[in-house]
Amino acid sequence: MNRKIHLTVNGTARSVEIPTYRTLLDCLRNDLGLTGSKEGCGVGVCGACTVLLDGKMISSCIALAVSADGHAVTTVEGLAGDERLHPVQQAFIDAGGFQCGICTPGQVVSAKALLDAIPNPTDAEIREWMLGNLCRCTGYYKIIESIRTAAQRSRA
Amino acid sequence: MAHRIVGKPIGRVDGVEKVSGEARYSGDVSAPGLIWGKALRSPLPHARIVRIDTSRAKALSGVLAVLTAKDLPNILVGRRMFDMPVLARDRVRFIGEKVAVVAAADPDIAEEATTLIDVEYDDLPAVFDPEAAIVAGAPVVHENPEAYEGAPAERPHANVQSVLRFKLGDVEAGFREADRTFEHTLRTQLAHQGYLEPHAGVVAIDEDGRVQVWASNKMPFRLKELLSHALQLPQEKIRVNLTPIGGDFGGKGSLMDLPLAYHLARVTGRPVKMVMRYAEELMAGNPRHPAVITLRTGVSRDGRIVARSVRALFNSGAYAAFKPAPSVSLGGASMGAGVYRIPNLWIESFCVYTNNIPCGHARSPGEPQMVFAEESHMDMIAKELALDPAEFRRRNLLKDGDHLANGHHLEHVRASDTLEAALKASEYSQPKPGPWIGRGMAMTHRHIGVGFTNAVVRLGVDGRVTLRIALPDTGTGAHLVLRQVVAEVLGLAVDDVEIEMATTDDFATDSGVGGSRVTHTGGRAAYHAAEKLKAQIQAEASKLGVPGDSLAAVARAAAREGRTLEASHFYDAKAHGAVTSFTAQVAEVAVDAQTGQVTVRRFTTAHDVGTVINPLGHQGQIEGGLIQGLGFALMEEIKTEEGRISTLSLGDVKLPTIQDIPPLTTVILEDPVGPGPFNAKAIGEGSISSVAPAIANAVADACGVRILSLPITAEKVYFALKEAVREARLPTEEGRP
Repeated sequence: MNRKIHLTVNGTARSVEIPTYRTLLDCLRNDLGLTGSKEGCGVGVCGACTVLLDGKMISSCIALAVSADGHAVTTVEGLAGDERLHPVQQAFIDAGGFQCGICTPGQVVSAKALLDAIPNPTDAEIREWMLGNLCRCTGYYKIIESIRTAAQRSRA
Repeated sequence: MAHRIVGKPIGRVDGVEKVSGEARYSGDVSAPGLIWGKALRSPLPHARIVRIDTSRAKALSGVLAVLTAKDLPNILVGRRMFDMPVLARDRVRFIGEKVAVVAAADPDIAEEATTLIDVEYDDLPAVFDPEAAIVAGAPVVHENPEAYEGAPAERPHANVQSVLRFKLGDVEAGFREADRTFEHTLRTQLAHQGYLEPHAGVVAIDEDGRVQVWASNKMPFRLKELLSHALQLPQEKIRVNLTPIGGDFGGKGSLMDLPLAYHLARVTGRPVKMVMRYAEELMAGNPRHPAVITLRTGVSRDGRIVARSVRALFNSGAYAAFKPAPSVSLGGASMGAGVYRIPNLWIESFCVYTNNIPCGHARSPGEPQMVFAEESHMDMIAKELALDPAEFRRRNLLKDGDHLANGHHLEHVRASDTLEAALKASEYSQPKPGPWIGRGMAMTHRHIGVGFTNAVVRLGVDGRVTLRIALPDTGTGAHLVLRQVVAEVLGLAVDDVEIEMATTDDFATDSGVGGSRVTHTGGRAAYHAAEKLKAQIQAEASKLGVPGDSLAAVARAAAREGRTLEASHFYDAKAHGAVTSFTAQVAEVAVDAQTGQVTVRRFTTAHDVGTVINPLGHQGQIEGGLIQGLGFALMEEIKTEEGRISTLSLGDVKLPTIQDIPPLTTVILEDPVGPGPFNAKAIGEGSISSVAPAIANAVADACGVRILSLPITAEKVYFALKEAVREARLPTEEGRP
């Protein structure tokens, strides 16, 4: 059964007709062409598909697209401004917060949500908040460093 | 030697696409008219296929094709040994083997259609344990393995894929000299590489019949050769287009679903995408081999090793197809010698067919398994000899002029320096901060990879340089290293050197990524190409009377004469000087006496390396490999029961999270003697292998129990502690802190 949904994606109103069983991740990637969000585990544990729904982190691989009807979705593509990267994105580059980059869209979305909620997080708060974002390349040390860097720069 | 750019910790200037979501991985590739493929997999470990009925699947709305083996040419595929059908023909040999494939307009329809295919099977006796598989009368996984292309000649049992041996001196005579002999058997688990990008690929057939491939594969030219073989097409009909790879760790070198995607594209006339679900990765990827390893070591009264024999059984699963080495084995078996001078050595390693998931290469193939066994064995011997584990190692470490198990003689050996650096930085000799806390060490070494790579550098009229390569970006930061090398040679800023990705049309060959080779082979190709370009620039400048320090002016002047300044280099390293890189690590752990839970309180890693080209990326390789080693040590495991995998989600396999990482101290001993550009060595596989034995040795130091199998879970430690209390080897409940 198909249904037409209306949602705001990265600030732009979008309408799309989709089967009711379609996940939000597949809808973003295949119906709306936003392939930044990735499917890793497909069961909501790795965080590669993390997006913000009305500002809150969700795993879009286990959310139905219809549940986003009437809501605002922010994906990795929506973080940067016209001219420059979001401070979190820039910090991940400068501090070596990624290697292969497949988990990075989810990492930077979660890190942005963290800094929105706690502008000056402790390491313990970073570890608690980022627990749902797996990374197999970095061993996480430089992800923590990237988030610290982004927080420091926002204070400056 | 002071460098301008080499040695500077430069952030990933190539990373804007990755942090912004713009990077197009193979799973992100689209094409007009794209459709989706999905395979049906066997639910049985060993069975004859009696009948396949695809009629219900074909009738489902949106299904465009359903193929079984009878629709495909009868070709077996592999990387060295060609023993695996693209779709099972008359028999399935593991749970997860592909038996049919569907193409549909939508991925959900494709998946649904696979459930509508009816397959009738007839069970066959199966074998899962590698010891049981090689006894007389064991169920045979392949009737006639010697007939397979690429099959090694030696076959002591039908279920043996390959035998690999290393020999130094006379081991029998060595054992006769020994004052004491020790033997231990250790086991390691089945483990996935853990890359978060499941295998994905798109195959499209052009109007002129060319096959365009986008794939998460790190060896594009080898992929072209293997596809040419699998698809019975001339190589020039195939083009592999490079995409970023979402994690490799040894796992991204096989064909996986690409031949099926091609056949679906062929019969439908549409581009086909196939993406494995992570559950498929866990049941049918190409994970790290589980191992059963027995080491026997003879020592003299003064604690010198005089002889060692090692027998390793690697449970290879139902096919050998995923192993790329000509030996169809795992070179890591040679690490049975450890980092020690062993005059009389005999290592024998068997890869064994069973009805389990076929295994392949994982970061440092065979080494985390063998180094866990070997370095645990070293500590167990030291304990019996009442020697400090560091002292026992000191008496046996490799020195200049010694030979490795593979016969390679060594120079610039820094085993001792590396060990002492790790001991010092970890405060190994200081009193421990409390009871139930222990320290353990382990060492390893890792060779510097060889291979062949192309680089083309071209000077633009804007004075910037383009480096064209066909080495995929697997995430290691190698592209940035190559840009730094070119920038250093030509006196440019890193931002003035751009990477241009070639395809397999642009070069004749290239060995791709793997075996810690890229900084060496890619780096040297880029270095020599840049040197040639530099000479051209100087020649042009003097010929045209333009100042040679303005590259843009030289390029423009040459362009007016109709010339483009471009140079290429093909670097082919079959072998290199006998240098290796040593690693010494110390873990400090706390064991929870109630639950057996192991917590790594701090970890020290020391590395003997060459010139470090990018310290940020170099450290990233150390940290990433180390935490993979930590996961292998403490938590990761694909569990199987009679060939059926019971951990089919990444949540069950337990990769380390950000909460699991210990405080880390890294010591870098830079020794510019490597074969890489500016005397670099390799680092990608240097930190993973000795983590597990360092932790196992620390656990033994903390609570007196020795865990002989990985991972070291709380459950194992708990039961080992109970057993030890029963045997009164430990303080009783009351005596505990």
